[in-house]
Amino acid sequence: MTNGKKNGKVTSPWFAIRKDLDARQRLTLSCLSFILPLVAWAFVSYSPFIWHPDVKLHISADRSDVTTVYTAGDHLSKTYFPEFVAAIRSDNLEILASRESGDAESRGSSVRRANLKIMRHISDAAIANDWLTRVEAKEDDLLYGVWRDVAEGKLSGKKVKFSEENLAIINRNWELMSASSPTFSSRDLPEIPLEKLVPQGVSANPVYLPAPHEVVIKGLQDFTFESESDKPSMFDRYKHSLKIVFLGFLLAAVVGVPLGVLCGTFDFFSKLFEPFVDFFRYMPAPAFSTLLVAVFLAHDAPKIALVFVGTFFQLVLVVANTTRQLDRSLLEAAQTLGAKNITLIRRVILPGITPNLYNDMRILLGWAWTWLVIAELIGVKSGLTEFLETQGRWRNFDSVFPIIILIGMSGFVTDQFLSSLRKYLFPWTPDAAEKKHGFIGRFFLWLVDPKAYSTPLNGKAK
Amino acid sequence: MSSSIELPSYKEQSEDVRTRFAELYQRPIKLEVEGLSKSFTTAKGSVEVLSPISFNVHRREFVSVIGPSGCGKSTLIRMLAGLETLSSGTFLLDGQEPSGPGADRGMVFQGYTLFPWLSVKKNVMFGLEVNGKSGAAVEQEAMQWIELVGLTHAADKYPRELSGGMKQRVAIARSLANQPQILFMDEPFGALDPHTRCQMQAHLLQIWRNVDVTIMFVTHDLDEAIYLSDRILVLKANPGEILEYVEVPVPRPRTPEQLLSPEFLAIKQRLEELIHPKEPERDDEPLPNIRMTGIGDEVE
Ligand SMILES: Nc1ncnc2c1ncn2[C@@H]1O[C@H](COP(=O)(O)OP(=O)(O)OP(=O)(O)O)[C@@H](O)[C@H]1O
Ligand SMILES: [Mg+2]
Repeated sequence: MTNGKKNGKVTSPWFAIRKDLDARQRLTLSCLSFILPLVAWAFVSYSPFIWHPDVKLHISADRSDVTTVYTAGDHLSKTYFPEFVAAIRSDNLEILASRESGDAESRGSSVRRANLKIMRHISDAAIANDWLTRVEAKEDDLLYGVWRDVAEGKLSGKKVKFSEENLAIINRNWELMSASSPTFSSRDLPEIPLEKLVPQGVSANPVYLPAPHEVVIKGLQDFTFESESDKPSMFDRYKHSLKIVFLGFLLAAVVGVPLGVLCGTFDFFSKLFEPFVDFFRYMPAPAFSTLLVAVFLAHDAPKIALVFVGTFFQLVLVVANTTRQLDRSLLEAAQTLGAKNITLIRRVILPGITPNLYNDMRILLGWAWTWLVIAELIGVKSGLTEFLETQGRWRNFDSVFPIIILIGMSGFVTDQFLSSLRKYLFPWTPDAAEKKHGFIGRFFLWLVDPKAYSTPLNGKAK
Repeated sequence: MSSSIELPSYKEQSEDVRTRFAELYQRPIKLEVEGLSKSFTTAKGSVEVLSPISFNVHRREFVSVIGPSGCGKSTLIRMLAGLETLSSGTFLLDGQEPSGPGADRGMVFQGYTLFPWLSVKKNVMFGLEVNGKSGAAVEQEAMQWIELVGLTHAADKYPRELSGGMKQRVAIARSLANQPQILFMDEPFGALDPHTRCQMQAHLLQIWRNVDVTIMFVTHDLDEAIYLSDRILVLKANPGEILEYVEVPVPRPRTPEQLLSPEFLAIKQRLEELIHPKEPERDDEPLPNIRMTGIGDEVE
């Protein structure tokens, strides 16, 4: 009585035990199930007071007493960063002191080399502020210009703002630099040691949790990046990965489905094959990787074989089980109608199990995806995984995440698509009667056949 | 209750009925069952479900099988249809011993066994195609059988779009399309509501009149058995044995009004006696009179 009556329309309650929600509620919740994790991720990434145990460097410097080199983008822990800054400041004090005492100990060329390094430290800020491209930032004369423009106030950082302290340092350094030479020339750098830029940074999450926008930007960069001709582009890698998964799965299905149907149909084959298959599936497929490489040699064959090994045994058992689940009375009915042996298999068992078989194949295709990364690691590394591996080693997690998400999306989208095709492929099944189309499936069907999309039942006009 | 009404003996037959049975026994024997028995081996050892039974069915006869639940009615006709092996005995169909299931013996099951992936028409065509017919003639033939069960309008529907009664009609059409020697039916109307059930019974009688087919019909509804059959095979349980093979004294053609005729009630009373034998001890003891309601709460 009390619940559910709103604006004269009956809505179903949100919490009802074993009751289906209505279509709008379902859609809302499905969207939320993706939005919530995203919101949580954004929340952790963009609100510094929640976690942010690190400082991400915008401007780095070299400590004279420590050999470890940090570059812009590196993460330092929040406790170490002040120590780092303090060390650079004391380096600067030493430099000033040595200038005053006029120590002629250091020879001109070595001072110039140190100054060149200091001068180049402005490149990270120049790139971040879009003053220079990544390639331009390698050219010293352009960097020299940046020093001049910042000191003369022509450039001021938007994304990376120089602190007061650093602006003062830049001004002081530029005085010395411009006194030696207005434009860059490696021989005309000042012979007086320059002050180092003091490290600057923002608080950030650990390097393994890049913020959403960083992942998106990096993903777009990686995928649009023109690779050198001898290296595969990202799309080549993606295609390669798809090929491994789908070929491996296809082979497993081509061999496994007939075998599974035989096992489910004849107890003879069931008892002959299934015990061994059941035993074999407990052996982890990666354990065979070296063996597979030895047998199939390098390139793609051992990779496809690994996906095959990982999928095939599971597939046989699942298909055999599905076949056994076919209503026995359908077989009996067919027998009393005169069907025997092959006819029985061809005209009753196969059509009878197809809808469930289709479901099984969807689930097993999901299985096949899970073997992808391991498959691409064996032998010669290849595909998305090679990229994933290298970037992961360099701790470029903002490059790693797009790949992981891409793999997930590929599996998910395929599955949703196949799932929503069910209603059109098998109009006799009960779920074809209800009109619950998957989102993605509707889109694809609309692309393929707008008429089938808009007519109410099974795409057949009434 | 029934004792207050004077009923004739169930063995009394009118002249018409007697000549009809005489004619019926003149017809060739369609099914001859000789010492058929069945035991199942279970975890607790061998259980005899049917002890050896023998009976005959004549051509175009309508025989019902009744008996308490678990007495082996289904087992019996499944054996005859070839879906279950025989433990001992033989049976002859038209004087020949069939092996395994085949198109000569049709079967309609209690559960719905239409092929869900085929439309009504394709379901009916299934038997014809499996038995080697093909071409446009098959479709035409199928449509004739569908017309016979009155479902022409539903020929292109899938089984899931049909009601229970319609499904069973299609199942009957599908079996009949093969023109079997004998049609076995195992409680085909068991899952239907009473009204649909009555309709289906009338349908079935009409079909049986118009088609050259012998029917063996399992049910546990006595009215249904009497209304439909020429003879009724009454089984008892543990182990299954024939109690009596009763001739139904109700004249044909059958109408629903006959449900209250003296012959009908007489045979029904006899069947009741056979299936639920009087247990005097229990009937003699009156129920203790314990009131659980208030005084002002009388219902009678
Ligand atoms: N495959 C089997 N294995 C073991 N016992 C069985 C098997 N099939 C049937 N039975 C037993 O045989 C007996 C007869 O079964 P059946 O199905 O023929 O009874 P029924 O007369 O058709 O009963 P109902 O009226 O409930 O349909 C039952 O006690 C049943 O438990
Ligand atoms: Mg039964």
